[in-house]
Amino acid sequence: MMKVRSVSGSPLGRRHVLAMLGGVALSGLSPARWAQAGDAAASALAFDGDALVVAGAQVWRHDLSGGASATLATPRPHIRALATHPARTGRLFAASDGGGLDRSDDGGRTWAAASGGLPQAQVAALAIAAGAQDTVYAAVAGDGLWQSEDAGENWSFVMDRPWIAEAEREMLTLASVNLASGMGGIWIYAGTERGLTRVPDCFCRWQDVVAGDAMDALVAGTPPAPEAPLPEGEPVLALASAMAAPERFVAGLPSGLWASTDGGVTWSRRSGLVATALAVHPTEPSRIAAATADGVILSHDGGASWAALPTT
Amino acid sequence: MTRRGFFTAAALVAATGAAGWIAAAQQAPDAESLTFLGEPVTAAQLALGQEVYAANCASCHGADLEGQPDWRRRNENGRMPAPPHDASGHTWHHADRQLFTITRLGVSAIVPGYESDMPAFEGILSDDEIVAVLAWIKSTWPERERGFQAEVTANDEGGS
Repeated sequence: MMKVRSVSGSPLGRRHVLAMLGGVALSGLSPARWAQAGDAAASALAFDGDALVVAGAQVWRHDLSGGASATLATPRPHIRALATHPARTGRLFAASDGGGLDRSDDGGRTWAAASGGLPQAQVAALAIAAGAQDTVYAAVAGDGLWQSEDAGENWSFVMDRPWIAEAEREMLTLASVNLASGMGGIWIYAGTERGLTRVPDCFCRWQDVVAGDAMDALVAGTPPAPEAPLPEGEPVLALASAMAAPERFVAGLPSGLWASTDGGVTWSRRSGLVATALAVHPTEPSRIAAATADGVILSHDGGASWAALPTT
Repeated sequence: MTRRGFFTAAALVAATGAAGWIAAAQQAPDAESLTFLGEPVTAAQLALGQEVYAANCASCHGADLEGQPDWRRRNENGRMPAPPHDASGHTWHHADRQLFTITRLGVSAIVPGYESDMPAFEGILSDDEIVAVLAWIKSTWPERERGFQAEVTANDEGGS
């Protein structure tokens, strides 16, 4: 019987097989399902400096300052997730449908594999650490959270999937957010198939998003109930925060576009827009890009108004 | 009770309990700069802590602080295995006050609703014993991890 092998060449264990199966199950919730069919469909967005990179079956690079668009090489057939860091303009990480992770150091013109040690399974979400441009996080479907500290050369498993409502839940989107965790680091937020959660980047435990730190609740004697959390149990399809204003978030849910200005503790529904991918400009938090069933749209006023972005 | 008041009370509990040790024992020679909840750690505390660890903690966290196998992977019941307390784990990312509270009251005291196999040790260990075992764990960390944890503790409001 043929043995399935990981990208690194090592035999796959039960976990890795489950991860691949998880990827199949996850496809039912993936942004690709929500995005428009055809060449214009976009399932991943990221700002690379002042350029917006739009990825799906193809990769486009749209210069927001000049309005010019260019179609770029696509590392693999369909891109599921993208990640960039403002301190390293031109570097892109792209996760492809069915597994595989690639890196470009020239703004998406050329790509090379960046998945040493990752299981050959669907990478559902990517994020680069806000404070460390070579540290990358990958949410592997059916498996958990993986980390690379050398820009994708080597990966290691760091955390199981979040436990929400008596079961492990798939991570659909990730964001490294420069808000202090109280444990000497910052938070990694995950939008899951059953809501929002977060883990300190020391990977001690997934936990609900609450105000302050939990010691405040202990002192007060009551759990800190969020005043207005996201709708309970709803999948968080897309999540983005601004590097320049890490307390500001936008989230795409089936019920619409939601926003938070306090690190994800309280949320308000901004519109009925269903965004399957979101990106916030790293230095101008009011600039938000969203992938919808009708195409990619751009807002310059924090989501109050939108304009279509040509992606062909 | 205010947050500062809580810390003061917690520190007093620890400090009062530790007073006998501090008076009776010399400061640990191999832990010259080691403190817990702002108080210097003594050799007697470290000796007690090692004993308490072996009797109450090692069965899950490992005789050599190595934690349970595959500790990053969830058990079938959804709970996480006992993590290591050595440099390969994450204990050194937590401030003294958090470590004391987790040990005394359980993880759910820090993360509401969190289910863990680790019991709350209030009523099982005295506050002195909790302080001693945590101080001993800290004394085993390499310099880098001890320095990091000291900074986390200093940044924690009311920390040492």
